Amino acid sequence: MIISVNWLKKFTDIDVSIDELATLIGARLVEIETVIDLGKKYQDVLVAQVVECVELEGSDHLNVTKLDDGGVWQNVERDDNGYVQVVCGAPNVRAGILVAWLPPQSIVPETADDTEPFVLGARQLRGAMSNGMIASARELALFDEHDGILELDTDAAPGTKFADVYELNDYLLDIENKSLTHRPDCFGIIGFAREVAAIQGKPFHTPEWLAQLTPDFGEKQGDIMTPTVTIDDPELSARYQAVVLSGADGAKKTPLYIQTYLARVGVRPINAVVDVTNYLMMLTGQPLHAFDYDKLVKVGGGTADIHVRSGRVGEKLTLLDGRTIELTPEDIVIAAGETAIGLAGAMGGADTEIDESTKNIIIESATFSLYSLRATQMRHGIFSEAITRFTKGQPAELTAPVVADAVRLIAEWAGTTRVSDVADSYPGKRDLPVIELTATQVNATLGTTYSVEQMRETLRNVEFDATASDDTLTVQAPYWRSDIHIAEDVIEEIGRINSYDAITLKLPHRDFTAVRPSDFDELRTAMRKALVRAGASEVLTYSFIHGDVLRKVGQDPADSYRITNSISPDLQYYRQSLTPSLLGLVNANVKNGYDQFALFEMNKVHSKTAELVEDVPAEMHRLGLVLVNKKDQTSAPYYQAKRILDYIAQLLGMELHYKPLGDSNLALSKPFESRRSARVIDVSSGQPLGVIGEYKKSVARGFKLPNYAAGFELLPEAIAIALNHKAPAYTPLSRYPSSERDICFQVAHDVTYQQIIDVTHNVLDTIDISSTVEPVDVYEPADGTTKNITVRLKFTAAERTLTGDEVTDFVARVASEVTAKIDAKIV
Amino acid sequence: MTNIEDLRQTLFARVSATNEPREILKAAELKQLYTVLPTLNPGERGAYGKAVNELKVALETAIVARENELEDATIEPLDVTAPWDVNSALPALLPTEQGTQHPLTRELENVIDIFTRMGFEAIESRQIDDDEHMFGALNFPANHPARDGYDTFRTEEGFIPPAHTSTMQNRILKAGKAKLEAGGHIAAVSYGRVFRNEDVDATHEHTFYQCEGVYVSETATLGEMLGTLQSFFETYYGQKLKIKTQPGYFPFVEPGLEFAIEKPAALGGKPGDWLEMLGCGMIHPNVLRSADINPEKYRGFAWGGGIERLVMLKYGIEDLRHFESGKLAFLRKFV
Repeated sequence: MIISVNWLKKFTDIDVSIDELATLIGARLVEIETVIDLGKKYQDVLVAQVVECVELEGSDHLNVTKLDDGGVWQNVERDDNGYVQVVCGAPNVRAGILVAWLPPQSIVPETADDTEPFVLGARQLRGAMSNGMIASARELALFDEHDGILELDTDAAPGTKFADVYELNDYLLDIENKSLTHRPDCFGIIGFAREVAAIQGKPFHTPEWLAQLTPDFGEKQGDIMTPTVTIDDPELSARYQAVVLSGADGAKKTPLYIQTYLARVGVRPINAVVDVTNYLMMLTGQPLHAFDYDKLVKVGGGTADIHVRSGRVGEKLTLLDGRTIELTPEDIVIAAGETAIGLAGAMGGADTEIDESTKNIIIESATFSLYSLRATQMRHGIFSEAITRFTKGQPAELTAPVVADAVRLIAEWAGTTRVSDVADSYPGKRDLPVIELTATQVNATLGTTYSVEQMRETLRNVEFDATASDDTLTVQAPYWRSDIHIAEDVIEEIGRINSYDAITLKLPHRDFTAVRPSDFDELRTAMRKALVRAGASEVLTYSFIHGDVLRKVGQDPADSYRITNSISPDLQYYRQSLTPSLLGLVNANVKNGYDQFALFEMNKVHSKTAELVEDVPAEMHRLGLVLVNKKDQTSAPYYQAKRILDYIAQLLGMELHYKPLGDSNLALSKPFESRRSARVIDVSSGQPLGVIGEYKKSVARGFKLPNYAAGFELLPEAIAIALNHKAPAYTPLSRYPSSERDICFQVAHDVTYQQIIDVTHNVLDTIDISSTVEPVDVYEPADGTTKNITVRLKFTAAERTLTGDEVTDFVARVASEVTAKIDAKIV
Repeated sequence: MTNIEDLRQTLFARVSATNEPREILKAAELKQLYTVLPTLNPGERGAYGKAVNELKVALETAIVARENELEDATIEPLDVTAPWDVNSALPALLPTEQGTQHPLTRELENVIDIFTRMGFEAIESRQIDDDEHMFGALNFPANHPARDGYDTFRTEEGFIPPAHTSTMQNRILKAGKAKLEAGGHIAAVSYGRVFRNEDVDATHEHTFYQCEGVYVSETATLGEMLGTLQSFFETYYGQKLKIKTQPGYFPFVEPGLEFAIEKPAALGGKPGDWLEMLGCGMIHPNVLRSADINPEKYRGFAWGGGIERLVMLKYGIEDLRHFESGKLAFLRKFV
């Protein structure tokens, strides 16, 4: 929305600079996107009179003119009479008219915003000297008009600045519509001016004609039957008024001065009737529509019988822009008799369009359900100035004074007379609430010390009905403030108009109680730091993935929540685990020259297979990691992933067990190759924590992974449970030396390390001496049928030095138990 | 047709028996089916052609399954309990200097840390929620135009990937109600991922992070809100800062404001440069009511702003798209 400062000035004094004004409005009403200096474009444009106009010899359309600019412009060639010669090709140029002259060295306003504005000069045109140019509306950057040069309707003396005559020394404020969604009144110049007055601390007085809610429509001449108006459902329209005007002249224009005001706020002047409807909309925020009365009567079967109703299934309507749309029951339709003639609030129909031959018109002034219109706007793609205002919710009271002024202005500029009464269907009349609040309440909410009188004056400045008695304010908002319902709305007005920046800043007074980060947040931070120490890089990836990515790892898209309005298929499904997202990052990084890296993410996943919790999907936390090495290694990648996981567990104070993954139907395990992957289990709590392993061959192919790739995906919530379970593990240091012995078991290829360790621990648990078992070596000869597992036993007594015989005995007990329980040989 | 069904069984049996399942696609019997087609009368051709196609698709699936089975059979099982591979040693960790924390989580930790020290509990925001928490409990009536500004995604079930962390506000208020009524106050921040249906470019993302704050007591004022926010930003930037507000419209606050700080010197700011930081306001009575808190007795304020902006300003990051790109070239700048 564009707001003209000169237009505001017609309704309120502005006694601050444009910069101060912009700052004030920004702080107390709405953010201004940009301030445009309009006057700059017109600084050199002069009013000039064509005193002589003769055809240029040898040209079929050019004229040589002599202009009188009152001798104002310097540096231009003049004839003996002091006139300036300009060659002009416009068909409407003739002696006697006043024009806008762009002198040599001036910039053509149309090009003023270009990177290289066009600077005029003096040049020969078919042998005749032409100094600058006579401008069209288009060259003046006013509006598109191809009929020729702009003829001025002023009695200003030649040499007067064009901008002074038409008040173009103006500033335009560009405001984003979205920022004023809640303020329909500010979509009119008068409403905006009211705010500008109040934020300067000035009272505002709505013009008399607009304040008249039961206005005088002037004298009725003639006796056309007043249209009948029926609103089928008050939900669709709170009020609909219609009046017939006769004797319209489609060729008549509004005064140029009105046209320039319309043009500067972005509305193209058409003819007097259309211009008046637009002018009043810009002024008051109330859109109007003009129908051709005779066409409407014809469509309606002989009478002006207007209905406001819902669209019907299968019903079609051809709009003013030539499109034929299919109506729905959610659209609001204006009908003549049974036939739809307009899409209410959005666009009129082609069948009742006013044109050059129109003699009688119906002016509609109405309001419609903003909710319906919002949907209509989206469904049919209509974004006009009118619907922009209707969808903010214009008040029903406003239709009457505006239609009354339309009757008056159209009569003045298009020469019409009112020939019918004003039909008025008003089923949506509402009483304005009276709000009581106290000054104490206002100050307590804002943290201010305003007096009750100051509050009352602030509200009165924007024409609220406000009275104060002791501490109590009794307030009734004016009809155009349908957004004011409760005390808090009034408090906002007082705070805003007096500026929030005037409020003294304080910190809340309250008991000083320490707050700790949650255990879970602390755990996640600890894991993050541990993984960074282990050399991994943290990533964040999208929560939504492509269905193909799910399929690639063997997860079923039907188990994922699907976004119905996704931006692209890449972002269509909620992910069920983090691993697919991480695998998706590997190839690009390898191609960018990173040979060895680990990526991890902590985030949430969702699945339809999980039960809803309090009516919404369960959210599952995950920690995923993938590590790769572009160069093949002799060792299996599984063990490096395990090394990282054991390291993190150690930093967190956990001991982990790994059990073969085997068959698993969990979405989490799907990417992992069951024979080279494990379930991760916390030893002390027995809590399953997730899955670690290498990826299925099909997955590795699908994501173009290097041969050396492995990773894990864990459940941080399970880790939190496991850590809660953990008892402090510290034992006092012994003062006595420890004894170590290595022992090597030869076992069959398929015996696991864990089997040996479990039996060893069983034996050590029976010995009342502190001991540990550590791996030393895992050797497999080339034939691969057996392997040798060497472990180191370490014994430490708390109170004495162990003898060699004792240690030998312990080792022998371990050896005999392991060889007995497992088919093992001591070597 | 019987012919096709018989052939299906024969070919499937062959697929599960062979070590080169893809060869089955070249079977003569399969080619034979196509030579039959022109001999049929036109009425039968459609159904026949469809049946042949279905057979081919089913066969392809069976072949891929068999290929995977054969491939998997060659996979050597690992002793997953062993500390390292056979004839090997304990693998090294990756070099510590390669380890990097994402700048966004780092900054989020920083922000949460300051609010925690200011007495606010931190709660992570949800990534999927319902209309009631996203809009309804926040005083957005159904069909309200203000909903448009949020460009929300929806799932088939009507769930919403939240477009603001305010989706947690009703839960925070409900959880704090007992404490409030026992004479205490509610002070919490919710942080996390939010989603908007926006096209992505250097300054727009469909996925980003926000942090939202909520404070409710018997005596909360707008002045206290502005003081709290100023205090946060002064701590965050380690210097005194001027603040500026302008009216803003959010249905869940009344009054509603936009909050800006003067650009800190550390970011190259000069007096008069302003940074818009967040939206804020006094919690709308209807929002308190939705959580069964009496708005006649208690007042609150709330605010919410983006995290990416803080990070981008701090490090001079030029493109929002880097955050979720997973590019090591970007990540390794944050050692």
